[in-house]
Amino acid sequence: MAADDPYAILGVKRTATEAEIRRAYRKLAKEFHPDLNPGKKEAEARFKAINAAYGLLSDPEKRARFDRGEIDASGAERPERSFYRRHAEGPQGRKYHPGGSPFEEADLGSIFADFFAQARQGGAGTQGRAGFRMRGADRSFALEIDFLEAARGAKKRISLAAGEMLDVTIPAGFKDGQVLRLNGKGEPGLGGGPAGDALVAVHVRPHPFFRREGDDIHVEVPVTLAEAVLGGKITVPTIGGPVALTIPKASDSGTVLRLRGRGIAAPGRAAGDQYVTLKLVIGAPADPELAAFLRDWAPRHPQDPRRKMVES
Amino acid sequence: MIRRTALLEMVPVESAELESWIGSGWIRPQRSDGDWLFDEIDVARVQLICEIRRDLAIDESALPLVLSLIDQVYGLRRDLAALCRAVAAQPEATRTAIAAMMAQAESERS
Repeated sequence: MAADDPYAILGVKRTATEAEIRRAYRKLAKEFHPDLNPGKKEAEARFKAINAAYGLLSDPEKRARFDRGEIDASGAERPERSFYRRHAEGPQGRKYHPGGSPFEEADLGSIFADFFAQARQGGAGTQGRAGFRMRGADRSFALEIDFLEAARGAKKRISLAAGEMLDVTIPAGFKDGQVLRLNGKGEPGLGGGPAGDALVAVHVRPHPFFRREGDDIHVEVPVTLAEAVLGGKITVPTIGGPVALTIPKASDSGTVLRLRGRGIAAPGRAAGDQYVTLKLVIGAPADPELAAFLRDWAPRHPQDPRRKMVES
Repeated sequence: MIRRTALLEMVPVESAELESWIGSGWIRPQRSDGDWLFDEIDVARVQLICEIRRDLAIDESALPLVLSLIDQVYGLRRDLAALCRAVAAQPEATRTAIAAMMAQAESERS
């Protein structure tokens, strides 16, 4: 086959001189050296064939034997080798990256760095060179707020590294874990593109005694024995401040009273309510006179509040 | 990683010549107690420089230019590969749009 013929591979006549063969080899080697042709798939095979052909024809003895048909064209194959391009295109190729020295690992200067820098300066977009237009990246922040700030709404300020301030308005009724999106407060856009957004993940700290269910607020309020038995006005906390609450006579511990409209007033929704759960406290140590009274006290209507539980 | 003596056996290069290539920064092996350590890319590069000098008969004075061009080409190809990976990670619609723009650029060129 012609492809196996070293003369055909080098494109020389069978009568070519050594100098002619060398010239032909150099010309072809320049054209097909795989490291000089990283994109040409067939270059490596061609280069090997060219080298094998030259290895055969450049040696007068081997050439004579081949001419006499004593050896075939594959007689002078070089050992397997790993070409530079195999390494140069991988990450290890960065070692010989133009402009970078091997001792500056952090120098990742690339065509893209130039490209983005140019776009950021706003220089692109003129002279027919298509401007690179890109929306800026979003920036993420975390913010922690108090229970009451979330319930009533608040204005907060985040200090950024560069002395920049970010004002955040927390709407009333803000829920823990919600993310606020501040339009246009992210990274600036490239080439006239819009800025990204700031994303603020808000964590709401729990309150020592208020608990929230939707827009309603639940709170447990301790009451004395006298308040529970006799009823009366007590002062209870709400998220809007203390308010008066009337306890009916003979209120059991665990009685739930509602303060209408004293819950969270989120914009666009009817205000929630506050639910007050009464919790009877005896106080410790118990009043000795109260204890003495109860010991001597014979109820007119004795009752067992657990009767239903222990029957059956 | 191989030492200098092993490299000199593998690749037809003179010790003094190799030293001068290292001195010029064309080859960047690791220093290791008085010797040099060459990793695979260094060996392949020494071989490449040998071939450029001997087989391709390129003059010593032209070598820096040739190496600089080679390094630039591989730098561009690595950047391009990074870009291709970034494009491949985009949603289908984005990839299609990029492919269309590339095809347009191709047709304008010819």
